[in-house]
Amino acid sequence: MTGFCGSARGFSTGASRLPAALAVVCWTVLGLSAADLSILPTTVRLHSPHARQQLLAQVASDGVQGDRTADAIWISDNPEVASVDAGGVVRPVSDGLAVIRAKADGLEAALELSVTGSGDEFSWGFRRHVIPVLTKKGCNSGACHGALAGKNGLKLTLRGYDPAADYDSLTREATARRVSLADPASSLFLLKPTMTIPHGGGKRIAVDSLEYQVLSEWIASGAPGLREDDPTVVGLEVSPREATLEPGSSQRLVVQAKYSDGSLADISRWARYSSTDAGVAEVSDEGVVTMVGRGEAAITVAYETSVLYARLTVPYDNEISEEDFSRLSVRNYIDELVLDKLRKLRIAPSAPADDSAFLRRAYLDAIGILPTAEEVEEFLADTSPDKRRDLIDSLLDRPEYADYWAYKWSDLLLVSTNSDHLNRTALWDFYNWIRDGVARNKPWDRFVQDIFASSGSSRENGALNYFVLHKDTIELAENTTQAFMGLTLTCARCHNHPLEKWTQVQYYRFANLFARIGIKTGDEPGDSVIFTKAFGDVPHPRTGRPLPPTPLEGRELALDSLDDRKLHLARWLTGEANPYFARNIVSRIWAGFFARGLVEPPDDLRATNPASNEELFDALAKDFVDSGYNVKHLIRRIMNSATYQLSSTPNASNQRDDRYYSKYQVKRLPAEVILDAMSSITGRESGFDGYPEGIRAIQLPDVQVESQFLESFGRPPRLVCDFEERSDDPSVSQALHVINGETLNGKLRADGNNIASMLKLGLSDRRILDHLFLSAFSRFPTESEQETMLGELREARAGQGSGRSRPLARREAVEDLTWALLTTREFLFNH
Amino acid sequence: MFRLDADKTVEFCDGLRRRDFLHAGSLSLLGLGMPEFLQMRAEGAARDTGKDINVIMLMLVGGPSHLDTFDMKPEAPIEIRGPHNPIKTNVPGIEISEIFPRMARHADKYALLRGCYHNAAAVHAMGHQLFQTGRLSLGGMEHPHIGSVLGYLKGANGDLPSHVLLPKIIGPTGGNFKPGQGAGYLGKRHEPFVLNADPSVADFEVPDMLPPDYLPALRVDRRRDWRAMLDRTVSKFETSQDARLLDSTFHQAYTLMTSETAREAFDLQRESEETRNRYGRNRFGQSCLLARRLVESGVRFVTVNMFETVFDEITWDIHGSPPFSPISGYRDLVGPMFDNAFTSLIEDLADRRMLDSTMIFALGEFGRTPVINPAGGRDHWPQAWSIVGAGGGIQGGQVIGSTDKIGGAPKDRPVHPSEIVATIYHQLGIGLETELPAANGRPLPIVDRGVEPVHELFA
Repeated sequence: MTGFCGSARGFSTGASRLPAALAVVCWTVLGLSAADLSILPTTVRLHSPHARQQLLAQVASDGVQGDRTADAIWISDNPEVASVDAGGVVRPVSDGLAVIRAKADGLEAALELSVTGSGDEFSWGFRRHVIPVLTKKGCNSGACHGALAGKNGLKLTLRGYDPAADYDSLTREATARRVSLADPASSLFLLKPTMTIPHGGGKRIAVDSLEYQVLSEWIASGAPGLREDDPTVVGLEVSPREATLEPGSSQRLVVQAKYSDGSLADISRWARYSSTDAGVAEVSDEGVVTMVGRGEAAITVAYETSVLYARLTVPYDNEISEEDFSRLSVRNYIDELVLDKLRKLRIAPSAPADDSAFLRRAYLDAIGILPTAEEVEEFLADTSPDKRRDLIDSLLDRPEYADYWAYKWSDLLLVSTNSDHLNRTALWDFYNWIRDGVARNKPWDRFVQDIFASSGSSRENGALNYFVLHKDTIELAENTTQAFMGLTLTCARCHNHPLEKWTQVQYYRFANLFARIGIKTGDEPGDSVIFTKAFGDVPHPRTGRPLPPTPLEGRELALDSLDDRKLHLARWLTGEANPYFARNIVSRIWAGFFARGLVEPPDDLRATNPASNEELFDALAKDFVDSGYNVKHLIRRIMNSATYQLSSTPNASNQRDDRYYSKYQVKRLPAEVILDAMSSITGRESGFDGYPEGIRAIQLPDVQVESQFLESFGRPPRLVCDFEERSDDPSVSQALHVINGETLNGKLRADGNNIASMLKLGLSDRRILDHLFLSAFSRFPTESEQETMLGELREARAGQGSGRSRPLARREAVEDLTWALLTTREFLFNH
Repeated sequence: MFRLDADKTVEFCDGLRRRDFLHAGSLSLLGLGMPEFLQMRAEGAARDTGKDINVIMLMLVGGPSHLDTFDMKPEAPIEIRGPHNPIKTNVPGIEISEIFPRMARHADKYALLRGCYHNAAAVHAMGHQLFQTGRLSLGGMEHPHIGSVLGYLKGANGDLPSHVLLPKIIGPTGGNFKPGQGAGYLGKRHEPFVLNADPSVADFEVPDMLPPDYLPALRVDRRRDWRAMLDRTVSKFETSQDARLLDSTFHQAYTLMTSETAREAFDLQRESEETRNRYGRNRFGQSCLLARRLVESGVRFVTVNMFETVFDEITWDIHGSPPFSPISGYRDLVGPMFDNAFTSLIEDLADRRMLDSTMIFALGEFGRTPVINPAGGRDHWPQAWSIVGAGGGIQGGQVIGSTDKIGGAPKDRPVHPSEIVATIYHQLGIGLETELPAANGRPLPIVDRGVEPVHELFA
């Protein structure tokens, strides 16, 4: 555990003070370190006699912030308008403007706020106040009354997604014993959660708490229900939104809800908090964060159906010079944004990768094959200053580029005969459409429009097999958001998404866009005809009535509109109004080049799953859209960045960095790439049942192809659209398979393979060694490797004690050397 | 005696033995040795219980209905009590379902816990996480399986891995949650050894456990040496967990290959036809038999997953409509499958005087709804269910806890899955305050503070 360091910042007491409107800035005499104090949030309005607002006294010095709220002295200049207590909580007194001051660390700050409606009649609202209390206290959670079947007779909707139903349960059922207007204090609604009478859920609310006050006063005021003009939450603000803090320090978060009527309220007490990295920051139920480690953590704040996060950082304890940072020479915006993050966290980048490392990496990441020994020698000998850029361009023009990326998009689109839906004809049609799009670098928006903005025969447009694969409307809707938007909507099928902003209503509006996609059997096996039906709706399961078809954040179509719903979806899905469309594919492409995605997993774009470098993600998405959804453009941008071309060898400060791109993080090669590389180096192809001779694993259109090797090394089954279907985890079974299994052993001992050719050509041990190193590692052996291995080969060749003839002994020695090279980490990993 | 295959020369065996010895030194560097636990003993954090207890955990994937298995409600209306009748056991007062006739003759050897519950979402993975790790994986933290914790603390006991998972991992069961069967923050090197084969097929063997005939031991050995020379431990691989792990998987593979004990442990051919039939000639039955052989050979923790998933297969997950199972599947298939395997396992362990040193839990991830649904099945019900514990000091012939009249909620002695996890650690002599390195090296106790073992089991 990191120890508490306390405040490391000292301020000169002899500072001259410059008054400012909202903050008073203090400069040290030497002018070396500037500190200031500010009050957060910066906009405060109190709208009712019950309004209150927690303020924060936030000190900042040298970019490091500290929460001084508890130590600060709080003063109201206008106590007749608003009061402030010792903890920084302001309350209304009368309408008007008030200035609140905070003094801490010898600094002072001021904030002006407004008070309105202080004399208004006030009563707590069911939707605005009662439901949030129930949610915060867990009453309507899945474990308690929010369970589908309720609990002990009381059933509430999960996290209050249906306030009208909850109002009925509380006021109409159980013969009005839950909420007793005649005798409010005898309401079960008050007696149970306070454990005045036995309650299975224990004591949730204290009698002297604000929560009790809300519930009891709401009943006393006649338990008013929902009103048409109840304001709804339109957004949240969290303060501070971002802060660099001292290790061990605490920071209170303040959350304001913005309502549809323009009002603002402090809902910090009723928001729910969680930390995305409990090893860096912990957060209490009250929203107080403690920085328990170093690094960056996002604190997710959820209230009703809104979510956002605060990003809190404690830099690593590294001493890094400007020279260290300059090792990453800026080539494009990727490098700038990576450097910004590394400076903030105090992590130094690794040195640039040498030519061998870059060459091998570029081949594997861009086209999924290794450079041949000849290609390596040629590249190493090339003295052109632009040779890396030229190499990238030439790789993207090769047919292997299309094979490799078509395979990736086939993973994404679940191309496979493993369901009953696609037969071999349909499989090939679907695959050929994908590969053709990749080969022609079809813009990603047009690629996806091929699916959604067309109809007719799937033999003529292979893209339409997407609908053959996903026949069920619900499955189709959910797979579409996962594959093309990186969003998992499944939870919202039955209730509001508990971790996300999507509501069940949004879900069924969205699902209804897919309701009129018709499919019928075509003229020949493997042909399906996709057409638009004139009728059909997906009803909302509770009301049984359909909702107007509406993209998640788009314009709705009237239920009786004659417009083609699929076209409406296609326009929104692939348009700029849908931010998820570009970010989804950018995230997937980026994850092909770096061991870790911008978000993890790369196909999870939930608002509550922040990126490791949000600015970088934004910039890449913008670049991609500006380029016209040009996949090769994005790949070029990534591969030409200095960031991509960093060495994988760590330095003292970035050993543990696995998410800020301070080095090229090593990653195991995909199963298919390893198998193909083993084939090309041994000169013995794999051979797949039912496919032409010479086809490489990465060229297979299907995953229903028997291969123990691919199975063991993590080939995805393509059953569900999930990035993590593919596994690169090492296992003992994999090791056993390469040691004892038939795949690699068969290639090594095959007649007429490359080993046989080298021996037939009479190559010396040294030439053989060079050739194998260049083929497997894209480099020559080092002197010591050469010396050691030539010695070993010499000894083995002599065949002493084995009873083997000399030629056979030599053949076996070269086989064994090849085996050893092909099972090292240097071979199995990209680095 | 170490022998790679029978027809190779003797000097080779000696060579291998020497290397294996050197090898053992490197294993502890990989965290596969024993230091943590020995140190804990020295510090008094671990009790010496006098014997090493191993654990077999039978995961009844799908979630058995407590009302149709171990917590019958014959007095309840038909839509609650369901189609099955209770039968007497050899312990007066304890009744179980008629679908377990063999188990009924051994009730003195196991305890029933009828007050299990959890508060998390009613999805399969929550219960799997809770029983296998004691916690829910939240905040980016993935907690380790008990078997992985044992491996981390105690190391392997001989040549076999400390944690073996049979026959395959639990796949997707709906919802994107992991079922808690991995090593989590302890690192992938503490992942279980997964069999990945069906032990009930005729020619069952661990895939690729032995070299092919054409590869003499001399060459297997030479390849291993050369690989070690070429696979320089360059720093870039040392910072990657996957790369470090890849190296240790090769070490583990060689240890398995060269171990007579390992080969025998996995060889079901050494069991008589009668024994194999008694367990049931199916995936689960033969996995239970294999589990027995493995703990006999020193494996500390064996997980047996009764099913891989809950879709398109008859399992405990009796929603009543496809792709899930009908309630009749219990009588026709799942009940007998469990009855034969579980009963044979405790019979064998008792006969071999191993029951005291082998703790068995048979558990599902939740119970089922008391009221039969319109499809004639029962849905998920984490509010209450029953599990079975035996051996390792557990006092058989008792029932701990009970539920209300309809099996809807625990009436007395509710037991949360984390208490079962605490029970296992406690009985294995591991102090509950023992800390593990979680994310960023932050120490976390093996179970949440305040969680206690179910002491009544050992009364």
